[in-house]
Amino acid sequence: MNFLKNKYTYLVISGLFMFSSCEDYLDINDDPNNPTEAPISALTVNSTFETAQNTFRMGNITTNYVQHLASPNPASASDVMDPVSYSGTWSNMYNVMTDLSDLINQASETGANHYQGIGQILMALNLGMTVDAWGSIPYSDGLDFQTITPSYDGDIELYQEILRLLDEGLVNLSNTTEISVGEDDFIYEGDISKWMKLGNMLKARYLNHYSETDSYDPTAVLAALDDGMESNEDDAQVEYFPEEFNPWADVAIDNADLLLGGWISEQFIESMDGTLYGVQDPRLPYMVGATDDGEYIGVENGAGRGNAPEQGARSVLEPDDFYTGEQSPILIATYFEQKFIEAEAAFNIDKSRSYQAYLTAIRAHMTKLGVEPAEIDAYITNPEVSMGESAFTMDEIFKEKWIAMFLHPEAWVDARRYDYSYEDFDLPANVNPDLNGEFISRLAYPDSEVSRNGSNVPDVSLTDKIFWDN
Amino acid sequence: MRNKITIMVLLAFFQFTGMFAQQQEVTGTVTVANDGMPLPGVNVLVKGTNEGTVTDMEGKYAIEVEEDAVLVFSSLGFERQEQAVNGRSMVNVTLVENLEGLDEVVVTSFGIEQEKKSLGYSVQEINAEEITKTKQQNVVSALQGQAAGVQITNSGGAPGQSARIIIRGVNSLDPNADNQPLFVVDGVPIDNSTTESEGTPRGLTNRAADINPNDIESLNVLKGAAATALYGVRAANGAVIITTKKGKEGQVRINLNSSIGFEDINRYPKFQEVYGQGFSGEYNPDSFWPNWGPSMEEINAIDPDVRFYDIWRDAFDTGVQIDNSLSISGGNEKATFYGSLGNLSHEGIMPFSDWNRTSARLNGQVKFSEKFTFSGNLNYTISGGNRVPHDRFMERMMYWAPNHDVTDYINPDGTMKTYSNTNPLYDARFSTFEDEVNRTIGNFKFTYSPFDWLDINYLIGTDYYSESRTEITPGPLGIDGEVPLSSTGSISETSIESRDINSNFFITLSKDWTEKFGSTLRIGNDVFERNYERFDASGTDFVIPQFYDLSYTNQISNSQDKRKKRLVGLYGDLMLSYDDMLFLNITARNDWTSTLPIGNNSFFYPSVNVGWVFSEVIETPEFLNFGKIRASWAQVGKDTDPYLIGQTYTSPDVYPLNGQVGFTRFSRFGDPLLKPEETTSIEFGTDLRLFENRLGIDFTWYKSNSKDQIIPVPVSESVGFSTFVTNAGEIKNKGVEFIVRGTPVRTEDFTWDVSLNAAYNKNEVVNIREGIDEIVVGSQFGYAGSRVTMKLIEGEAYGNIFGSSYERFGADENSIFLNEGLPIVIGENGFPVRNGAQLVLGNTTPKWIGGLKNDFSYKGFDLSFLIDFRTGLEQYSQYDNFFAAFGIAEYTLARNDTRVFNGVLADGSPNTQEVWLGQGEGPDGRDYGAGFYRNTYRTVSENFVSDASFIKLRNISLGYNFQENILKVLPFNSARVSVAANNIILYTPWDGFDPESFSAGAGGNAVGFTGLGYPGVQSFFFTLNLGL
Repeated sequence: MNFLKNKYTYLVISGLFMFSSCEDYLDINDDPNNPTEAPISALTVNSTFETAQNTFRMGNITTNYVQHLASPNPASASDVMDPVSYSGTWSNMYNVMTDLSDLINQASETGANHYQGIGQILMALNLGMTVDAWGSIPYSDGLDFQTITPSYDGDIELYQEILRLLDEGLVNLSNTTEISVGEDDFIYEGDISKWMKLGNMLKARYLNHYSETDSYDPTAVLAALDDGMESNEDDAQVEYFPEEFNPWADVAIDNADLLLGGWISEQFIESMDGTLYGVQDPRLPYMVGATDDGEYIGVENGAGRGNAPEQGARSVLEPDDFYTGEQSPILIATYFEQKFIEAEAAFNIDKSRSYQAYLTAIRAHMTKLGVEPAEIDAYITNPEVSMGESAFTMDEIFKEKWIAMFLHPEAWVDARRYDYSYEDFDLPANVNPDLNGEFISRLAYPDSEVSRNGSNVPDVSLTDKIFWDN
Repeated sequence: MRNKITIMVLLAFFQFTGMFAQQQEVTGTVTVANDGMPLPGVNVLVKGTNEGTVTDMEGKYAIEVEEDAVLVFSSLGFERQEQAVNGRSMVNVTLVENLEGLDEVVVTSFGIEQEKKSLGYSVQEINAEEITKTKQQNVVSALQGQAAGVQITNSGGAPGQSARIIIRGVNSLDPNADNQPLFVVDGVPIDNSTTESEGTPRGLTNRAADINPNDIESLNVLKGAAATALYGVRAANGAVIITTKKGKEGQVRINLNSSIGFEDINRYPKFQEVYGQGFSGEYNPDSFWPNWGPSMEEINAIDPDVRFYDIWRDAFDTGVQIDNSLSISGGNEKATFYGSLGNLSHEGIMPFSDWNRTSARLNGQVKFSEKFTFSGNLNYTISGGNRVPHDRFMERMMYWAPNHDVTDYINPDGTMKTYSNTNPLYDARFSTFEDEVNRTIGNFKFTYSPFDWLDINYLIGTDYYSESRTEITPGPLGIDGEVPLSSTGSISETSIESRDINSNFFITLSKDWTEKFGSTLRIGNDVFERNYERFDASGTDFVIPQFYDLSYTNQISNSQDKRKKRLVGLYGDLMLSYDDMLFLNITARNDWTSTLPIGNNSFFYPSVNVGWVFSEVIETPEFLNFGKIRASWAQVGKDTDPYLIGQTYTSPDVYPLNGQVGFTRFSRFGDPLLKPEETTSIEFGTDLRLFENRLGIDFTWYKSNSKDQIIPVPVSESVGFSTFVTNAGEIKNKGVEFIVRGTPVRTEDFTWDVSLNAAYNKNEVVNIREGIDEIVVGSQFGYAGSRVTMKLIEGEAYGNIFGSSYERFGADENSIFLNEGLPIVIGENGFPVRNGAQLVLGNTTPKWIGGLKNDFSYKGFDLSFLIDFRTGLEQYSQYDNFFAAFGIAEYTLARNDTRVFNGVLADGSPNTQEVWLGQGEGPDGRDYGAGFYRNTYRTVSENFVSDASFIKLRNISLGYNFQENILKVLPFNSARVSVAANNIILYTPWDGFDPESFSAGAGGNAVGFTGLGYPGVQSFFFTLNLGL
């Protein structure tokens, strides 16, 4: 029996031992794969890269609306302005804004003022792109997981936030910093003076969006521009990598592999080949591909390619043009865009400045593309382009800006502010009948948002306008 | 004279003994009916008394009884037999084996053997023969149709492809949850996960397939929470308890089992064989479009040499599987052993797909003394094969024009031979994916029984496997004019290591307090640890053509995933029995898990079940031999996966770029207050045996509610995460199960056994946390807006498929269901109007499942067949969507018809407009563009969601056991030959390949989508068994 007693004692002891060590034994739930903190430098790498990606993504959505591209298939949803659920892009916009929110907070805690300023400028930029597409969106309730069903902020208030972020960002950039930005910045590689120019340029961009509202203040736009970009050297862009191709290059490569996409709209071709404007634009071969016969033929938006075969009979984005090189840059905000903004803002204040800005903008874009100087001069001096200051109208600014902003989401903001009044610009074939003969004014809230946050999603139709669009 | 005297003496003697209360001694031998071996340990009872004895080692017994006594012979696993003595002094008895008899012993939790009649819940046992007869190489598939309420679905016909098992419906709202039961081998849980390939589907293996079915002695399905309460969290979806073969005392037995099988596709869709390559009815031998050209007649007018190949049959081979296994077993009083070697090699119908399994097992038991025994089991398996990317293969088949021979795929220089599209066979041959699993499953069990009322058990087991996977996509071969499979080529190497350790210590105290009242108390401690590591490295752009090594690529990236989980449990189990007719079982368990936040990681759950054999107590009609009712109530808690709590950062795959690594907030956030899930289930049932046990009926009703479900809830991305892991919902399953067994004929030479099982399950998503309208389980591509999605919505059943449909006139705008009864709205263009709104088009969970089994035996012959069925479910056919889009389906023969679509115009008036279905300019001069099938038909999901019920002849086999007279001249103790056929579709309304195949694999829950899955196969086997 002694033996048995011992045995029980052992049991009790081992039992007690087990309980006391149980807590340690089970305390193994810290994720070894993902860290709980990320350095601001790593967040900057991803935020700068993803801002370029987001510019592509938004451009990819809006490019059919502005008839730069057209679908090779008839009645394609994006072409005919059907409500399409862009859950992926919505998610990508918020991914970047979420990371930027962490970046701003962490930078502010460590006195990394330059990182904070960059974070704020990128936040303004991504927020701006998102508001311009969807209007009201969650922001003040969002980003930091205060609720699972965040309420929506109005588009007017969000624009104030964009401008506030830009102002604060500029202040932070002008202060000294505890930690310097370097190669982790894929846009300017830590060149803070360029960041400040970008901040001012963006301020001009978003202030200029107010053009159709009572709050429009062109002098404020011009004031911001004065501290903006000074040449193409200042362009905010991300050049792509041998390991990661420019996403438009991927579109062109896929199309060459018969995963069809990147077909050029008839509207775009006819605007540049002399059909609509009586001048042949030398930029066309730098931007898009020709047919097997060396011609430039577009596809009518909404109509599809008809009997045209998959390859060789229509203009498409072809690999290795300016916009479609494997390592080509994605243009986020540029000197030429700024010059067009200047032309527009100055038009009623100082028409001469406006006219000069217009011409400089065209030249800057053509230079950017690498067009031969002789061709540039020939184009710019053509009377259709250089009509003289007195004959010069707002229409020319919008038309030329529409060409220069090829594939860029700002082109859709312009098209809406301009009420799509480009020459011979018609609704697509097979247009969504629910639009009642109007052009699309905003994106539908994505299915993911309707499903996950339905009670807060505003009830809007595709023809309801963003506040700046009247 | 002498005789006379003898008789008189005898008579007198009988008189005499009669005067002494007619007592006499009866002796005899009890033997087993089928092999004549003596049977020790048989209870011999005098009916109506407590007097009795047991047979000795030679099966002999002796007992003093009254001459009119009735002796009752009973032994576990044998049919009870009664014999009236009628004055005989020798009563020899042969007992018939009965594995499903009244005194059936079943293996429940932790390898504990219990009498089935004492259980207050339903269990179903499948024996070795029933498993091997199915000829299934995967133990999960072997269960098909055999157990009520157990749904097995083969994900496809690829060698080694996974099979999914669901018991009593899906219990989890989490789209990523494993809803399959726990697999336990010899008391120790093993891993049955399926790790599908990244990228294109290849149909990988569920890990339970590493077990050689020939090693299995019996298999028990524990269905409800009551049955699995002791296993706790890991068996929340039920458990499959596998007991492997053990050696028996006596001479050494050697068994050899050899079988060869051939297989082919069991069902084809209906194809058109009229229209060839081109588009818009124009022939073009280089066209991308395989079937939108003109008719063969017109093509042959242009080029008489063009043929229409039957590419869908040409592209496939006859599959072959060869299975050999050898086992040796034996032992003495002190020690027994069982050893086996098995090899399976399987080549699939899709060229270049194969899977092999080699396994070795050693089971042994040593009895050191009456008090102490030790046993160990060790299983080593190597398995793996080349997994052809079936989805991509079938997609390339879609694009392949039937005017070109698909089997003529390679040029003499090794490049692909093609007219322009990628040849599916070339891709299948050179885009390889090989996996190899090395796995060891083993355990030791110590039993110490110092007193007859005390058992101390310790069981420790491990399940360790390492798996390597190599996937190669060749780049260009460097030969001019080639069409490469990829412009760069790529290789990826994956290494997975998984180690489970289970430790289980328990003490059993049993005591019979009185003759009638007995008790058993078991308390124990259970510890589980899983350590999992996975490394992935991939490279693209080979430096040297055809030299496929990770080191010789231009871009290399890698990733790593490490996981560790621990679980500690304490449990108690009290069983009380009264008079062999009333049984009460109470269990309780507390678990501590590493995966929930400290503070919420300890949880307790109890269960209680009662079994009452009423036929022992109340007067029952003559024909009712046995009647029992049972009831149970049980709770089971459930934890979750490691590392779900809180917020982390991750580096997207795209990095490094320019030497920089970016980080982003990980899209998932885990509730810091996460608590365990809780499933509560109740079950009632009855077990009736009638007409001398010739008919058995087992009925079960159950209901289970799982609440506080841990779900990665998709949340508005604007909050900074896309999923929030939290306790967010409740799901309910209720249903009934029937088992009817009968022996309509039993004579000396001929026996017919029949058994039918059927189960009905109804599932409901009871609630989902406020603010969340739906949970997406999965979705599958369909052309031009015909993508379908499986979503969970509050108040609806699991498995609804949502998609686009034809607009219906007068449809209720608020209804989420498609009302197929209403007329279709026809547009102004004369074609049906598509409704892009996502409506419920069907449900992927079968309402009824079941099986019917028949066994006939006549002398040495036996014939058995197993039919199984499922009904009341719909499925999306991605195949058909492609067949429509590419003009392959038979119904696209109508492409040149003119038709007035049945339906009404927007104003409700009947449609009268005649339209042409073809492409381009119609007979009426109108331009019809890409035609009806591409413009309309393929864009409507409704066209591709249809009834996926089936009745299958799961297995039929005919065998012959050589009889004594032949065996005498052969050097064998036993010999058997058999032929069998498998998986023959008897009936299905489905038009397509085998409706059973689905694309998600056993590990996925989005089961209602076919994908371009590996087609199901039917197989024919020849088998030889020899015993030495």
